[in-house]
Parts: sequence; structure tokens; C-alpha cells
Amino acid sequence: MGRDLALLIPEIAVLLAAVSALIAEILRRPRASLALAMLGLFVATGLTIRLVGTDTTVFGGSFRIDALSIWAKLILLPATMLSLLLASAEVRGTVREGTVYSLLCLATVGALILAGAGDMMFLVLGLLLTSLATFALVAYPDDDPATEAAMKYFVFGSVAGAVMIFGLTYWFGAAGSTMIADLEGTEAIPLAVIFGLVAVIVGLGYKASLVPFHFWVPDAYEGGPLSVAAFLSVVPKVGALFALTQVFRDLPSESGGPAVIAGLAVLSMTYGYLAALVQDNVVRLLAYSSIAQSGYFLLGIVALGESSFALPSIIFFAAAYAAMNLGAFAVIAAVGRTLNDFNGLGRAQPLVGVAMVLFLLSLVGIPPLAGFVGKFLLFAAAIHAQFTWLAVVAILNSVLALAVYMRIIVPMYRQEEVPHDAASIWIDIVTLTALLATVTIGLAAQFFFVKSMA
Amino acid sequence: MSDLVLPIVFPLLAAAAILLLRRGAAILALVGVALSLAASLKLLGAVASGDSATLLLPGLPDLPLRLTAEPLTALLSVVVAAVATCVLIYSVGYMKRESGLPRFFAVMSLFVAAMQALVLAGDWVLVLAAWELIGLCSYLLIGFWFQRPEAANAASRAFLYTRSADLGLYIAIFTLMGAAGTSEIAATLNVDGDTAVAAGLLLLLAIMGKSAQIPLQDWLMRAMAGPTPVSALLHSATLVAAGAILLIRVAPLLTPEVLLAIGLVGGITTVAAGLIALAERDLKRLLAASTASQYGLMLIAVGAGVPLAALLHLLAHAAIKSGLFLAAGEFQHARGGTALERLRGVGRVRPWTFFGFALAALALVGAPPLSGFFSKDAVIAAALSAPSVAWLAPLALAGTLLTGAYLARALRLLWHEREEGENENRSVAGARWMGLGVWALVIPAVFLGLTFGPIEALLGLPGPGDHGTTAMLFGLLAAAAGLALGWLVPASRLLGPFHPWAQSGLVIAGGLSFWIGRPAMAIAYGCQRLERGLYATVLSVGRGGFFIARGCGRVERGLYAVVLGTGRASLAVAHLVRVGDERRIDGLIFALVASVRGWGDRARVLQSGWIHHSLAISAVVTAVTLIILLSASLSF
Repeated sequence: MGRDLALLIPEIAVLLAAVSALIAEILRRPRASLALAMLGLFVATGLTIRLVGTDTTVFGGSFRIDALSIWAKLILLPATMLSLLLASAEVRGTVREGTVYSLLCLATVGALILAGAGDMMFLVLGLLLTSLATFALVAYPDDDPATEAAMKYFVFGSVAGAVMIFGLTYWFGAAGSTMIADLEGTEAIPLAVIFGLVAVIVGLGYKASLVPFHFWVPDAYEGGPLSVAAFLSVVPKVGALFALTQVFRDLPSESGGPAVIAGLAVLSMTYGYLAALVQDNVVRLLAYSSIAQSGYFLLGIVALGESSFALPSIIFFAAAYAAMNLGAFAVIAAVGRTLNDFNGLGRAQPLVGVAMVLFLLSLVGIPPLAGFVGKFLLFAAAIHAQFTWLAVVAILNSVLALAVYMRIIVPMYRQEEVPHDAASIWIDIVTLTALLATVTIGLAAQFFFVKSMA
Repeated sequence: MSDLVLPIVFPLLAAAAILLLRRGAAILALVGVALSLAASLKLLGAVASGDSATLLLPGLPDLPLRLTAEPLTALLSVVVAAVATCVLIYSVGYMKRESGLPRFFAVMSLFVAAMQALVLAGDWVLVLAAWELIGLCSYLLIGFWFQRPEAANAASRAFLYTRSADLGLYIAIFTLMGAAGTSEIAATLNVDGDTAVAAGLLLLLAIMGKSAQIPLQDWLMRAMAGPTPVSALLHSATLVAAGAILLIRVAPLLTPEVLLAIGLVGGITTVAAGLIALAERDLKRLLAASTASQYGLMLIAVGAGVPLAALLHLLAHAAIKSGLFLAAGEFQHARGGTALERLRGVGRVRPWTFFGFALAALALVGAPPLSGFFSKDAVIAAALSAPSVAWLAPLALAGTLLTGAYLARALRLLWHEREEGENENRSVAGARWMGLGVWALVIPAVFLGLTFGPIEALLGLPGPGDHGTTAMLFGLLAAAAGLALGWLVPASRLLGPFHPWAQSGLVIAGGLSFWIGRPAMAIAYGCQRLERGLYATVLSVGRGGFFIARGCGRVERGLYAVVLGTGRASLAVAHLVRVGDERRIDGLIFALVASVRGWGDRARVLQSGWIHHSLAISAVVTAVTLIILLSASLSF
């Protein structure tokens, strides 16, 4: 027990951060609330580094401390810190400001639980925790669009969650255990487990915003605070995708599961980019683009068990995605939510413009940025696992992606500039951090690979 | 031995076809039931030559659904199908003037299918499913004229009474499955000790509900508000019989204590229901009370440890009682009602039907050499041979006497000269179909006794022991005395001060309703609320299906749009190739963007912003995923 708790210290630290942030808010000390949350996350990150390389389970195998869950912490905790900074710039001075920080930390705990889940009950717990916290976050502005978005998100989330729990009862009934690992090595999956599997795909697919469970995404991103959108697009999504990885790692490969995941990947990538093409609102555009990016993650999940690249590629792309997507959202926070706001940005604020171009090109997957390495690894994993067609579809979609992101980049340099207010210093810090991560992760990884090849 | 499913499948298909086609309901139902009868007969033939077979159907994991063909189940299956066929033939005429025929015939077919499933089930899970379906169908059929308050009321009452008693069945089944570790009926019958006693008593509760034993008999009389063919089917071969059939099938399980309880319940019921029948003022209600009374006799036979006698009486009663009901239905058409006062003298108007009615009635009383003579004889012999003879024999004889009395009373009233201008005769539409149905049942009611020997040989169950002559003597005496009393003495004098009491339908009238009816209704009310919730759930699932259908429509339109978009895009690409040389390279990119944006617009169609549309699309894709995975796993 003591050992188990010791291994869970990072999660506990985040939880304590959430609680102390809430207490500070109750005491009407919003600044302290932010500081406590940041401190907790920082400490949690530091404590996690100690664990790198561990591969074990706690609580009788129901929670996993493995590469996935450790890297989830190393990626998501800094991402949450960046989201907190964005949020502090956005909600400063509003009532109940500290609840945002507290809820962000709570949702992060949920995402971390998802990423390490070794038991179906942890899947449910993580999903509910992230969902409940983010429902409230989306509704935070307390105006009509936010309420409508939160309502849609809530209805969609409840249905998906209910379906997931309902299906898991079949799984439990047929497999006789709630442990995911208990399916490992079984010859054929019992039919009832398939209901459970589909339900898990629905539940996690909703959280990871995969098509066709993505309908809440554009509304929630647009209606809620921008920082919450940035958070939603990274933390719960990566948590859910890692959870999906945990589930599919233990499935027999003849289950037909990979084929279904491949289908969802094609749907998500294609639909996401096609829908992004017609958006005039940059937040909605990025919402759809994040749906498409989720599809890329699935390439790695499809290859699980067949390719040794699969797991590293998922983790790596998660890191790259977190950096570049948060960066893009930070620029939007500084510039504005519509395409017209970006007119002439490249000339008015050259540094911000260059940063945005780099984020977007990284999202497309242009070398030598982080997104390129992540996608490259994902494609390699898919091809390695005999899913060449899927990789081809993904590459074709990258062309589509270029068209999508060009819609932001082109006006930045070709249109007359519009005046902008000066952005908060915190936003610039976030942009800069994300930019550094995007460039260095890409370069370092390529350096590393070149060395390992040689 | 996949033939085993055929008796169930044919009526089921008929029900589905009727609901889909909405025309030719009567013919479809008749064909379905006739095919079911043929399949049952084939099954009986196969079983008679010594085969018994079990068919395993994939059900829940580790709980396959079993169908069993052994002599008993095959025989009961034939009885169910045969009675149902006659009743349906009759219904064609009886229901001629009614609307809502598809509903009627579809539910009747479903009813037959459920009953066949119950009879052939070799597995408790299947028994439960069939049992519930029977309850549902009887509810729908009794309430067929749901616009009439008394019919709706009667349907609810029947449903609630039987449902609350079903609780016993559930607990009994789960007890048995828990004790035996399997859901196979044959295997669970080996349990003994306290488990067997508890399970037996709980089963008895369920059976008391379905077979309308005292004190749960009230619903049966009220169920007469439904169409007459429904009454015939309910009373002879299906709903009410389900209880007795179940009891006969679990006979090996019953311990002496349970047997005594069963015998006493049956005995009290046969006398009490007989008294009610004697006092009834309505022909159909009289027949209903008589049904409860006859099933009481069967319970006596089971309680005496001779299920064979109960089975024989069940067979004879099935033919006789359905014949009686069908005849009563024709009288009803002739006079526009079933009150005995209104039916006074109707026998002279429709002599052939009356003749059939009288024959069936005599058979039920036990007049030799009609079928009831043999079966009642067996029941009385069983009672005489039972360890608890002191209780069972007097009750059985009293029941026989009362049978004679109330049927003689009914016959006298039906034949009695009516007073001038009192009742008006009407012409009866569809009389030919109805007469056919009546006689198709009366003839077996007369001659069924001949088949009892072969049936005994086929089943190989122990007979009622060596009380042949005594039993016959007692039985004949009681029947004759009953007939004489019923014909000569008016019921009111026969019952004396008990007359109004019995007439009110509940022997210990207000008391029972108060002590047992109230708590039962309280439980039933709880059940009803649960049912409402379930209904709401079912409704919303239905609506969900509707949304899915709409979603499918949308997807189809979307696909069409995609195809269209692809065509347009290729045109646009051709266009681009042509203009590519003329323009600058960025122009090309923007043209590409514009053409792809056209696709994007199509994608936006899916994003309507209505959450139920979104959910419907999600549901469709989930279903497709499920199908892919299921088919993948099945193909491995």
C-alpha cells in the first residue's frame, strides 16, 4: 500500500493542487489559487521525472505506472501549466476565477487516470472526472453561447458515458473481471466483450473527439473560454487516446479492432480537415483540425502489437501535438478569433507571425518541426504493421491539412493589417515556450534518430 | 433435431407477417398455427418412436437456451396447436364485424408461439421468457376492446394479479438455478431438502396466479370482458393451462409437504370456484369460474402424486372448455350479451350449437363414455390413493358434484322457454365458421377418452393405483347427484344464505379482497410504476430507432452529395489542369482550395448543430462498428 501510494505521488500532488487552489478561491485569494495550482503541477512534474523508466502496476494491476502513464504526466502536466497561464490572462478579475484553476487541475487528474488505466473502472472514473470538470469550465463565461455549448457537451458526454458504462457491464459479465489485462492471451474474444469494446470506443472516442463522436467539439471550443478550448484540445484528448492505447495493447490482434480503429482514423482525419476548410472562425477551424489530429494518433494505436514503433510514436506525437496546438491557441488568444483578425499579422508583429507559421507548419507535418517527426513515426508504425493504405490516406490528408492551415497563413502576409491591442505578457510566455518546444523537440528528435541510424 | 423450433417459429412468423402486411390477417394466422400443428404432430411422431432430443440455442454466455422434445412436451405442444387452430377458425367468424383484426390475429399468433415455447422449453430462462410473453399477450387480448373501461380494467387486473404471483416463479427459478448450477430444467429437478420445499412453494404461488386458484381467482372472471375466442384460448390451452403444465413438468421436484399444500389449494379452489359458478348470472363468467374449479381438480391430482391424472384432465378440459366457450360466443352473438337471463331459451334457436354445448358440458361433468368421464375418474382415483385421502377425496367429490350442478343449471336456463317479447334473436354473421370451430372441439371432447390409453403408454408415468371401481362409482354418483340438483333445485335455494355471497364472486368476499387483494395491489402498483418506467424506456428506445432511421436517411443523402462532390471535383481538377498554364502557381493552390472547400460544405451538412442528429449519426457509426467487430469475431 505504501509503495503504491509512493508511486502515485504525482497524481496525488495534482489533486492536492486542485484542492488547495479551491480553498484559496474560497478565501478570495485568486492569485494564490493560481500560484498554488502552478506550484502543485510543477512539483508533480518534478516528482515524475524520478519515475522515468519504471514499468509496474499498483493496486493489484488496476493502475499502470508504465511508459505511457509516465510520459502522459510529463506531457500533460506542463501542458496544463501553460493552459493555466492562458486562463489567468483570460479570466483575471472575473468572479470565481480560482475555480477555473482548480477545475483545470481536477480535469488533469482525470486525464492522468485515463492514461494509466489498467482497469475498466479507472477508465470510467477518469472519463467522468475530466468530463464533469470540463462541463463546468465550458460553461464558465455564463453567457448564451457558453451555456448552449456546455449543454451540448453535457448531453453528448452523458450519453457517451452511459453507453460506455452500459457496454462495460457486458464486458464484465462475459470476461468476469474488470481488468483490461485479463483479455490478454485469450484466443477469441467472447461476443459480449465486443459490446464492451465498442462502448469503450464510444466513451473514449467522445473524449478524444474522434469522428463520429466529435459533434460537441466545435461548439464547446467556440463557446467556452479560449484557454479552456486549448486545454480541452490537449489534455483530456491525450488522456483518452492513451487510455485507448492501454486498452488496445492487451487485445488479441485478430479481434477486428484495428480495422475499426483504422476506419475511425480515416473518418476523423478526412472529416476533420474537410470541415475545417469552410470555417471562418479560427477557433472552430482549430477545433476541426484537432479532430483530424486525433485521427493521426489512431495510426499508432492500429499498429500496436505489430510494430515496435507504435508506442513511442504515440507518445512522441502527443508531446509534439501538445506543444504546437497550445502554441497555436496562445497566438489566437493574443490576436483574435476570426480569420480577419489575422490579416497582416506577419507584418504588424513579425515574431508572433513567425511563431504562428511554425506552429501551423508543424501541425501539417513539415520538417524539421516536431509535428513532422511525430507523424513520420506514426506513418512508419502503420506501414510496419501492414496498414500501408492507412498511411497513404493519412499522407493525402496532410495535403488537405496544408490547404486548411494556408487559410490562416496566407492572409497574415497578403492582407492589410488590422490594429491589435497588446497581449498579456503571460500569453507571450506561453507562445514562446510552445515555440521552443516545437522547434527543439523536432530538431532533437531528428538529431537523435540520425545518430541512432549512423 | 432443429425441427424443434418449428412449432414456435411458424406462429411467430405469422405474427410478424401480419404486423408487416396488415392484411389477410386471419389467413396468415391460420396458416401459421396450422403449420405449427403439423410440426408438433411430426415432433410427436418422432418422439413416440422413442427419440427424445434436446436442441441447444446460443443464448447468454454459459447459459444456452434449450428446447426439449420428450413425450410430455411434444404431446402438450400438439394440444396447444390443435386448440389454437380450432379457436382461430372460430375467430374468423366471431371477429368478422370487428376492426383492429391485424392486432388481434398477430397477438393470438404470438400467444401461440409463446405457449409453444413454454411447453417445449427445456430451460428455465426460456420458461421465464415465454411465461412473461404469455402474460403480455393475455393482457393485450383481454384488453382488446380497450375502449371499454371494463375491458381495460380487466386486462390490467389480470396482468397485475398474474404478475405479482410471477414473483414466486422468479425467485423459485433463481433458487433452483443457484442450487443446481445450471438452468436446465431436468437437471434442476434433482435438488432436494429445504431448497426443494422453498422452490416448490414459490412455484405454487406463481401457478396459483396463472391458474386462478383461490385466493387469486378474481381476475379470471373479470377477464371475460375480452373477446370470446380469447377466453376459449386462455382457459383451455394457454394462459390458465400454463400454470398446470408447469406444475406437471416439475412434479418430480415436489416434496410431500409441497404436495399437500398443492392438493389443499386445488381442493379449496375446486369447491369455492364451483360455488361461485353455481351462483353466476353470466354464462361466460360461469364458465370462467368452472375453469378455476377444474384446474383445482388438476391440482388435487398433482397433490395426490399422480400428475398423469392431472395431465389427462388437462387434455380433456382443453377440448371441452374451448368448445363450451366457442358455443357461448355464438349464443352471445345471437342475443347480444352473455347474461344468463338474456340467453334464456337460446338453445332452441340455435339447436346444433346447443347440442354441441350440451355434449361438452356432459363431458365435463363426467358422463360416460365421454372424455371427461375417464379423466375425472383418474383424478378421483388419484385422490383416493393419496396419503392425504381424508382431505383430498371429499374435496374432489364435492368439486365433481358442483360441476354437475352448475352445468345442469346452465343447460336448463339455456333450454328454458323464454317469455314472450323478452329477448330478441339476432342473425349471426359468420355462423358457419363459428359452428365449424365449435364442432371441431366438441368431437374430440367426446372421443378424446379413447386416446388416453396410448397416452399413458407413451408417457410411462405412474397411474393412479387400484381404485378403479370405487372411484368410478363415487364419481358417477357425485356427477349424477350434481346434475339432478342443478336441474331441479334453483341455485338460490341450493346455496341458501350463501347465495348472495357466492354471487359476489369471492367466497370470503370483502375479506379476501381486503386481506390479499390490497397488499397484492400495493405490490402490483409498485410493479406498475416500474412498468411505466420500462414503458418510457422502451418508448425512448423506439424513438432512438426512429432517429437512427432518420440518420440513415441523412447519411444516404450525404453519400449522394459525396458522389456528386467527387464528380464535381474531378471536373474542377480537369478545369484546373486546363487553366494551370495560364495562371500563377498560387492561383492553382487557391483553386484547389476552393474545390476542396466544396467538399467541406458537404461535410458541414452533417454538422447541423442539432444534438439529436449528432447523436443519431454517432449511434449509426457505433452500430456499424459493432457489426464489423461482431462479424470479424464470428469469422475467426
